[in-house]
Amino acid sequence: MPTDSLWPSDWLRAVLPLCVLAVVAEEETYGYAVAQRLREAGLGAVKGGTLYPVLNRLEEEGLVRSSWREGAGGPGRKFFTVTAAGRAELVGRTTAWHLFTERATAVLPSLEASR
Amino acid sequence: MSTDLGTYRRDLILALRLREVPGDRIGEIVAEVESHVADTGEDPLDAFGPAREYAATATGRPRPRWGWADLLIAVAAGAAGWLLAGGLLGLLSGDPVGPLPPWAALALGAAIALPTVRHLRRTASAVRDPRTGEDMAPLPRWVPWLLGGTLALPLVAAAVDRRVLLTDGRTGAPAILCRRRPRRAPREQESP
Repeated sequence: MPTDSLWPSDWLRAVLPLCVLAVVAEEETYGYAVAQRLREAGLGAVKGGTLYPVLNRLEEEGLVRSSWREGAGGPGRKFFTVTAAGRAELVGRTTAWHLFTERATAVLPSLEASR
Repeated sequence: MSTDLGTYRRDLILALRLREVPGDRIGEIVAEVESHVADTGEDPLDAFGPAREYAATATGRPRPRWGWADLLIAVAAGAAGWLLAGGLLGLLSGDPVGPLPPWAALALGAAIALPTVRHLRRTASAVRDPRTGEDMAPLPRWVPWLLGGTLALPLVAAAVDRRVLLTDGRTGAPAILCRRRPRRAPREQESP
């Protein structure tokens, strides 16, 4: 997958669908804007070849919906909106993710101990 | 390594076609690439990786292998073409097509060709651009002419061949006309 190596690619692959769903849930948006939002959040540059398959899988699962609209002076853009099922899924997955990371963190040595 | 958008688009459409992705879905995937590249100014190869690999990632399906259904379609297309061409030639020459009279070969060829063409049209639906509704991979203008010429060539050849066969070797005139001429009876030699 063509992504920046800021994080191990496995980590990003695991969390990307949830983060993309969260970004789309913030407001109606399109692919490039999602990538920018993720980079601003410190997750690194997510390439188009990674991002669009994730967005399309979310759409296939019925968590987001899309529509093409005319761009200003350019080609049309595909805008994504979260669905009601997507919002419910976001709450459930976010809860599970926090629980998962808390438990994983509890297993890992503390930063002080590892120094 | 970089590639221009036109080349990338062509390679991606081909790679998706080979994976038997429906035309509308191909249009969506290609439009996403074009829209993203227009927004970012990135090279499509850098942003999406090689077209064949992106086709695999975007669809999540392996490239289908050839199976019995494909073999059946190929055999049906070949048989239909042979029967139609043979039937048309048979109508011109009056010769049967194997054990079949020309009209029967034509009818059988059409009966096989129609469902085959219908199936091919269904599986190879047009690649529509979701932004404009235009066909993203139209056939080049010369393709219908090439197909028409290929089909017409045996008929022209048969017509020429028939004309040659029916031409009188001595005079060069069509033999059918020569046959219509009344033959002169040999003069009987007058007895002295």
